[in-house]
Amino acid sequence: MQESTFSELSDLALRHSGQHIAASKAYLLEARLSSICRRENHASLDDLVQCLKARPNPRFELEVAAALTSKKTSFFAERDLIERIVTVALPQRLSHSKTGRLRVWCAGVSTGQEVWSLALRLSEEMGSALARAEIELVGTDVSTDCIETAKRGTYGHFDVQKGLSIHRLMTNFHRCDNGDWSVGDPLRDHVHFRRHNLLESARDLGAFDIILCCNVLDGLAHAAQRQALDTMSAQLLPDAFLFVSPDEKIEGISPHIKPSRAIRGAFERDRSTKSDAAA
Amino acid sequence: MKHCLIVDDSRVVRTVAGRIVKDLSFSVSEAADGAQALELCRKEMPDAILLDWNMPVMNGLDFIRALRREQNGADPVVVFCTNENDSEHIGEAIRAGANEYIMKPFDADIIASKFAEVGLV
Repeated sequence: MQESTFSELSDLALRHSGQHIAASKAYLLEARLSSICRRENHASLDDLVQCLKARPNPRFELEVAAALTSKKTSFFAERDLIERIVTVALPQRLSHSKTGRLRVWCAGVSTGQEVWSLALRLSEEMGSALARAEIELVGTDVSTDCIETAKRGTYGHFDVQKGLSIHRLMTNFHRCDNGDWSVGDPLRDHVHFRRHNLLESARDLGAFDIILCCNVLDGLAHAAQRQALDTMSAQLLPDAFLFVSPDEKIEGISPHIKPSRAIRGAFERDRSTKSDAAA
Repeated sequence: MKHCLIVDDSRVVRTVAGRIVKDLSFSVSEAADGAQALELCRKEMPDAILLDWNMPVMNGLDFIRALRREQNGADPVVVFCTNENDSEHIGEAIRAGANEYIMKPFDADIIASKFAEVGLV
């Protein structure tokens, strides 16, 4: 790959999805764009970039940028965080809710395992107050392909064996004729997926009690991190919580987000600063 | 150090699984069928057993039934690791006392994940 090709592609990723791709990660470009190159009959990334320059196509550029995002995810990858949301954050939000309706946004979910994990864990709260709540889960990702996979809720042999106990697999999935495993209907009732770019307003998604955004911000350039945090903070209801992976340090990036006083490790919207109001 | 017994009639599978389990800080012993495995368990009960289903002499299901009858207070964690990937076989294994179930083919992440599910790592 020519140096100029790497520059073009990393610029495109930054422009469309805010990703920062270091030169040391150039090898990732080949792997992540190989299927697009094959489909479009490009022999190399150099050819792909030539095509992008010769025939500008914003839609195709966005597809390329989305393909460059990390797809790494697994069921219950953030097990402790899910546990804290189910046992602490949602009950707290429910205790202040007049309607018994709660909304959770999982942002940057790739192929959706995080959302299904949360739905599955919530289904196990049979005897708690959460069982009587109406909880809507919304999963978003910049990649249309990922969102289609997430919506299907059908995963391969290797995917379902990482993070899922056999009991959870047997209780919540059914085996397809081709050997894949598909999420059962009861989990699908309150789960929705939509394509959304964190660099754009999320007003259409509405306001949320909990926002979960794991292993997304670390891959973004600083300005994009701030934009993404601003986007999410604008959709937080009063006293609602934002959770990121414990490894991700976000303090000080956005003036609209501050550590929560109610739940350690969570964040909340800083209402002392001016921000777009939630829908 | 915890001890894992790997029971499979394929030497290749025993070798590959053994390497993975050793990387999880287990000592490893091997048996090629259920009868051999039962003899080893009578001498020294392992902490974990990675168990194939289809084997000569004594299959995995007969082995786990015998093991659960005579484990004498010990409670080894049994993880099936087999090509039998349908719901009926999985259900039968769980009813017989399996703690977890790995569908072949497997990789290191799958074994690590399943061992974590049952508190072995």
